[in-house]
Amino acid sequence: MTLYSTFILAVESAESKGGLFDFDATLPIMAVQILILIVILNNIFFKPLTKAIDDRNDYVRTNIAEAKERLEKAESLAKQYEVELAETRKSSQAMLLAAQSDANKIRSEQIAATLAESQSQIVEAKAEIEKQKSEAMAVLDTQVDVLSRQILEKLLGNLVK
Amino acid sequence: MINQLLSSPQFANFAALEVGKHFYWQVGNFEVHGQVLIVSWIVIGVLVLASAIATSNIQRIPVGFQNFMEYGLEFVQGIAKDQIGEKEYRPWVPFVGSLFLFIFVSNWLGALVPWKLIKIPEGELAAPTGDINTTVALALLVSAAYFYAGLSRKGLGYFSKYVQASPFLLPLWVLEDFTKPLSLSFRLFGNILADELVVGVLVLLVPLFVPLPVMILGLFTSGIQALIFSTLAASYIGEAIEGHGEEEHEHH
Repeated sequence: MTLYSTFILAVESAESKGGLFDFDATLPIMAVQILILIVILNNIFFKPLTKAIDDRNDYVRTNIAEAKERLEKAESLAKQYEVELAETRKSSQAMLLAAQSDANKIRSEQIAATLAESQSQIVEAKAEIEKQKSEAMAVLDTQVDVLSRQILEKLLGNLVK
Repeated sequence: MINQLLSSPQFANFAALEVGKHFYWQVGNFEVHGQVLIVSWIVIGVLVLASAIATSNIQRIPVGFQNFMEYGLEFVQGIAKDQIGEKEYRPWVPFVGSLFLFIFVSNWLGALVPWKLIKIPEGELAAPTGDINTTVALALLVSAAYFYAGLSRKGLGYFSKYVQASPFLLPLWVLEDFTKPLSLSFRLFGNILADELVVGVLVLLVPLFVPLPVMILGLFTSGIQALIFSTLAASYIGEAIEGHGEEEHEHH
């Protein structure tokens, strides 16, 4: 560097200058050095590390978001499952009830039918009995007539004739 | 030995010898303080090296030195964020952070490295922040930074804050622009120099153990001074960026 070549190591006597508030070219040189330092550090320290931290934050954030999404999905699935389970239970209940009522209906219908049939059979049987009874009565009546006539003939002999 | 030292004529002007002497280099027509520049190059070298090591192999899960430097970065980010505000702080992190790191490393190297063992023709190596040139340079950079921040944000309207409250306050506002760098530079300069002097005098009087508490206190002061300087720098920048706009916003 040309700056170095112009450096002359001059050790001055402290009597003529020095002291606490000795301003000289150190000030602007230092200011320039600091500016250069800021530029260098910005490029090799602040930018890459800030980027690394931001990337990590993004990564964590997206991971959290994804996890939340998954959790929500799982929860909605669980809810859906619950709903479906409830529906299934309800429908099975309804089916059970329907089957029961159907069975009840069929049973009562069959009972009623059987009752009606047996009733009609009873009626028929009664009518048959009545008929046979009246037939028998008629037969009996004729027989009674014949018998009574025979008895009369026997008793009275030929008086009847 | 102590008696010898005490009786030696050097001890009488020990402070003057420490403070006033500089290792002059001639650069063209100008003179510079060589001892300040040497140590500042070491400081800059340490910072650049540390940064290079920390960012040479960036990983998502930070390990070792990257972790340490990330802690440092988040610390200076915190300074900038607290003073400038969540929205605006990002572009100013390198400025505020570099100031903090430079001052902090300067102070600590000045306090921890036994510079006295390295002989230079005149004066002695010490923290660059113990030299008024360095601190004034830093403070002027801060002034330039907050003027730049204000002007780039609001253009010439930035100066309207000088007369906004009352035109009579204009001199005070102008005065403040001079006192800000003055107080910044002298606070840092005075603290570091005083700390070095106290440690130096104590080491001369009682070389063993007694200066240790003062040295530890000096390390503490050094850190605090770096923090104060960067915090104030950030707060000036934050003030320049938003103070005016917010007030106007409130009036409407």
